[in-house]
Amino acid sequence: MKTSVLALGLVAAAALTSQAHADKLDDVIGSGTLRCAVVLDFPPMGSRDENNNPIGFDVDYCNDLAKALGVTAEIVETPFPERIPALMSGRVDVGVASTSDTLERAKTVGMTVPYFAFEMAVTANDKSGVKSFEDMKGKVVGATAGTFEAIALEKQVKEWGAGEFRPYQTQADVFLALSQGQIDATVSTSTVAQANVKGGKFAGISVVGKAPFDTDYVALFTNREEYGFINFLNLFINQQVRTGRYAELYEKWVGGELPDLTAKGVYR
Amino acid sequence: MFSYTFHWNQALKALPQMLDGALVTLQVALLSMVIGLALALALTACRLSGNRILGSFATAWVEIARNTPALFQIYMAHFGLGNFGIHLSPYTALLAGIAFNNAGYLAENFRGALKAIPDTQTRAGRSLGMTSVQAFRYIVLPQMLRIAFLPVTNQMVWAILMTSLGVTVGMNTDLAGITQELNARSFRTFEFFAIAAVIYYVIAKAVTLAARALAARMFRY
Repeated sequence: MKTSVLALGLVAAAALTSQAHADKLDDVIGSGTLRCAVVLDFPPMGSRDENNNPIGFDVDYCNDLAKALGVTAEIVETPFPERIPALMSGRVDVGVASTSDTLERAKTVGMTVPYFAFEMAVTANDKSGVKSFEDMKGKVVGATAGTFEAIALEKQVKEWGAGEFRPYQTQADVFLALSQGQIDATVSTSTVAQANVKGGKFAGISVVGKAPFDTDYVALFTNREEYGFINFLNLFINQQVRTGRYAELYEKWVGGELPDLTAKGVYR
Repeated sequence: MFSYTFHWNQALKALPQMLDGALVTLQVALLSMVIGLALALALTACRLSGNRILGSFATAWVEIARNTPALFQIYMAHFGLGNFGIHLSPYTALLAGIAFNNAGYLAENFRGALKAIPDTQTRAGRSLGMTSVQAFRYIVLPQMLRIAFLPVTNQMVWAILMTSLGVTVGMNTDLAGITQELNARSFRTFEFFAIAAVIYYVIAKAVTLAARALAARMFRY
């Protein structure tokens, strides 16, 4: 009798644990919390208000996603270089962190379709004499380590064969170095450039032009093998555009012409 | 749960690049030790001089160097001085920050070593007819260097590890900087960090072992 109870208990336990085969989508819904990696040093995508609350496009996007999933959102502040460790160690479920969808990175994480697109702009120190992208040749330039524009700019500096490239850990450090004249110019997303120049925290810098890099499409990311979750995220991004929420958020945080999220002449 | 498949063959392709970075790391650490030792001797001399201004200058240096994070010291060398229009390159800022830190700790090592040598030895030397300089040169100094030697090698190891803080001021040629860049490009965080950790370990261990062998030869009775 006793053994049969025990056996029954084991069977019941096995039945319950077999449910643990659930994928990440189930896990998120089950736990009732969606943990988003968001970079909070990257206005207007992510930053903090006077009361230290996270705000920005990415923050709102994470909240929308949580609402769609019927769970509460938890914003996990994640600097650019720590996005992947945060995901791999299970501290976050999804990255809503302006992550460029390069093929190199897609070998490591699962990327969704683009949810935002950046144009690149050159911001220069007024005393540097840099008036355009080409003027940066031979100058000391910098960008935020690990970003699309940093990788592109470093490549460009190597091609020019003159000047110096410096990667800084945060966007704030880049603009601090720029306003101090430690670097002559930087390439950043135009949204970030405008926000920092207008913000008035950094004196003596101005946006001097566009950088001729490819449009920087950024994607949400999660673990590579979580197809179910990636499917959901793709549909969510699609719905955000269809319902006009994307345009609404863009107007709220950035303003101006809404970037197209599709590449012409090709699927996905 | 940790879900990650390691791609070692991809990561190991970057090994030559990382080893180049390791050389820069070693170079910065060695230079910072040379500068740090010279500064530490000067600071020790200031403290022994009996001059109140020199003495308090040395004490202030040691206090700040030992009681604030190295990260802060390096950051200040770059962005702090930058505020006043003094622009140090990432390499120089890193070197200056670590040398400043080294000097503080090494000066304290020297002070400890001096304290470990009883005054009576100097007095004995003087009573044998040595001048005070001779007594210091032949009796105190050799013992001080001997006592301070192993703590100094400790600081060398510490200096090697501190170079990794250079990434905060835009350093991209040392081992940490190169690792960071490789990571940003490919997101293969764990492979690159693991390789970097092994390289740091090997360098640090080699320094410790070399110092021990050197000490065994130099300080034989």
